Formats: sequence, C-alpha cells, structure tokens
Amino acid sequence: MKKLFLIILGIMLLSQTALANDKKEVEDLIKNTFDHVLDILQKKDLLQEDKNCRVIEIVTPVFAFPKMAKLSLGRTHWLKLNKDQKEKFTSLFIKRLKSSFLEKLNLYSNEAIIYKDALKIKKKIHLPTELISKDNKIQMLYKLYKSKSGWKIYDIEIQGVSIISTNRSQFDQILQKGTFKDLINKLENTESA
Amino acid sequence: MINKIFFLSEKKNMPSNQPKFFFINTLVFINLAILFLCMISNEALAIDQINQPESDSTSIMAEEDDFDDDFDFDDEFDSSVINVPDPLSGYNRLMTKINDKLYSWIITPGARAYSFVVPEPGRLAISRSFKNIFFPVRLVNNLLQIKIKRSGVESLRFLINSTIGILGFMDPARDWLELEAYPEDFGQTLGHYGIGAGFHLVLPILGPSNLRDTIGLAPDYFLNPIHYIDSQTLEIGLESYQKLNSSSLYIGEYEALKQDSLDFYILLRDSYEQNRKMKIRD
Repeated sequence: MKKLFLIILGIMLLSQTALANDKKEVEDLIKNTFDHVLDILQKKDLLQEDKNCRVIEIVTPVFAFPKMAKLSLGRTHWLKLNKDQKEKFTSLFIKRLKSSFLEKLNLYSNEAIIYKDALKIKKKIHLPTELISKDNKIQMLYKLYKSKSGWKIYDIEIQGVSIISTNRSQFDQILQKGTFKDLINKLENTESA
Repeated sequence: MINKIFFLSEKKNMPSNQPKFFFINTLVFINLAILFLCMISNEALAIDQINQPESDSTSIMAEEDDFDDDFDFDDEFDSSVINVPDPLSGYNRLMTKINDKLYSWIITPGARAYSFVVPEPGRLAISRSFKNIFFPVRLVNNLLQIKIKRSGVESLRFLINSTIGILGFMDPARDWLELEAYPEDFGQTLGHYGIGAGFHLVLPILGPSNLRDTIGLAPDYFLNPIHYIDSQTLEIGLESYQKLNSSSLYIGEYEALKQDSLDFYILLRDSYEQNRKMKIRD
C-alpha cells in the first residue's frame, strides 16, 4: 500500500515537473525569439530589406505557417481542395501572413513587453504578454502546440482577436459566395496592393 | 473641469429636457425590439447547433487527410465562427461603407491636419484628460460588476490625476504608482451578468457594435459628465473634439486594417465581437 502510494506520488511529481518544463520551454522560446527580433530592429546600420529577411529567418522556425494556413481555411473547405490547390493556397497565405507580420513589426517603437506566466490548456500552451504602448496596454496571446520539431505558434490573439478566426470567417464568407478561384484572386490582389 | 463633474449631482433633480426624453423613448423601443429579435435569433441558433455536428462528421468520414491530427485545433476555431448572429448583414455592410467614406474623407484628413498643428505629447495629454473626465463611466460599471478593488483603483486614479496630474493632463497614477485604469462600460456590465451580445449592429459614426452594447450606450451617456454641460453647442463640440483627438493618435491603423482584409466588414465584425468577449471575460 505504501509502495503504491509512493509510486503514485512519484508519477504525480514527475508529470508536474514535465508540465513546468513545457511552460518554461515555451516562455524561453518566445522571449528569446522576440529579444532577437528586437535586437535586429534596433540595428541602425542595416537596410530595411535586410532587417526583414533576418526577422523572417529567426521567426520561421517558431511559427507553424503551413498549419496556420490549414486552420484558417477550416476542415470543411480544406478537404474540398486538391493537392495543387492546397499548395497554392498555403504558399499565398504564408506570404501574406509574413508581410502583414513585418508591417505590424514596423509599427513597433520601443514599447515595453511584459511576459506573463504560460498557461497549459489541454495539450497546448498559451503565453499571455502585454505591450505597454503610449496610452494603453495591448494584450497579445501566443498559442503554441508541440510539433515534431518542438513548440510552435499556431495562432496569435491581439486584444482577444484571433488571427486564425478572423481569417477563417473571411475565407468562409468568400467561399460561400464564390469559388476557390475567387479566394486565390483576392489573396493575390491584396498582396500586391 | 472638476466643476463640470459636480454639475452631475445638481442637474439630476432638474426637469428632464428634450434629449433625455428622446433617449428614454429609444430605450423602450430598443427593449421591445430586443425581445422580439432574441426570440428569432435563438431559434436560428438552435437550428444551427443541431445541424453543425452532422455536417462535420460526414466530412471527416468522407475523406482521409492529414487534417486528422488537427481535430482538436479545428474545434477550437469552429465555435468562434458560428457565434456571430448577423440577420442585418445587408444594412450592416451598407453602414460600414458609409462609415468608411466618413473616415477616409472627413475624419482621417481632419485628424491628420490636426496632428500637424498639435504635437503628439499634447494630444496624448488631452486624451488623458478626457479619460480622466470619463471616470464616472468606469467607476459605476466596475461597481455594478462588484469589482471592488478595481473601483478603488479607479477612484484613487481620479483623485491623484485630477490634482497632482493637473486635471488629468498627466497620469502620475500610472507612471509612478503603476495604477492602470480598468475600462468598463455598460455593455460589458450586461455581458458580465450573462446577457448575450445579440445580433451584430453597425452604428453610424461609432462603427461596429451589437444589440447589447448599443443598449449599453444609454446608461453610459448619463454617466458621462460631458453630457451635463449647459450649452448644447459646447457639449457637441467637446465630444467631436474628443473623437478627433483620439483618432489623431491612431492615424493609419484603420487604413492598415482595411488593406490587410479580404472582406473588411467581416474582419471588423469578428474583431469587434472577439474583442468584446475578451473584455467581458477580463
């Protein structure tokens, strides 16, 4: 009886530390990545284009870009596409996401970032952060999951607004009225604009 | 400016004037409308919920795909898509277009011109001062939600910023004591007590809203000290000035959001509803 109790206690302790490790890992990962990105943004001797390239290089392993494309389209729409369409959509989506990410990053002007404690929600980890801006604070929530190659961001919520959800309802609206071709056209057009 | 706030207590006992009657009338009308429309939207929602799981399960069975490992992801985003009832989408889209013209032809150019005249620190100070004057809205709604600590922080902020902060033009409470404001409005109070958002509604000038938050505008109107100013012209002038000043601080953000969108109306609608949900949860 005592042995059993000890075993159970041992398992509980182990799982507890495993959980804590996961959270720690995510916190460090995000913090290091963004510290690195901010370092590059502050370098004055680099051209804007070089900065952008480097930022994307740093950020790419942390973001689950293809998964974000898939989730934004949603299961029902995704399953209707053939392989070429899927590839086409994914590459366009990622391109758009990257450019909008860079645009947002350019608005950054030395605001303080506060990292809060990560939360474990089912199998995923949510990391809440706050951006202290000139007259208010902006809440940013990074949602990560464990992929085969480590923790990756699959969604960001800015002030409670999820990138995936807003993209998804827009795509859904377009696909309800039009065809996949319309969606591709729109994605291509907004990109060049 | 503190004096203006004291008008609040004096004027409440005076006979109601035209705009107040107008507000009460619209309130009653909106109340009747909400009852009727809630009945309709509830039924529509119920039908949606019955249909949803069936269509999902067939699509899973129909095809095998690498989406399999993403099931728990998909559920996470499914609910947020279905949850915006929008029976007035036709009107809403039209109003979004009208507002858009208003922003891009009048408000944004105006705010841009204004931002050339008044430097940013000045505009930030004015924005802080307005925020300080709007204190009763935040205090009462915090109290209504029985958020005692936050009400205390708000009161302390008002005291410190009105005096040491020179009529709220500065924010020593935030800068020195790390006391952040807790913005709450009546729409959030209603949401806090479990009242659903109702359908989405785009208001003229004010932009995205929903039934609940539109109703919440009326109580907040009476909590806003600006509306107790004797002169109607000054009241409207101050209010427009506040809008101009605050939009001058966010020049380009609206345009950036618009450029980023595929369906601007849907983006605005969903962003608004998700943001409100977060604010109510908070």
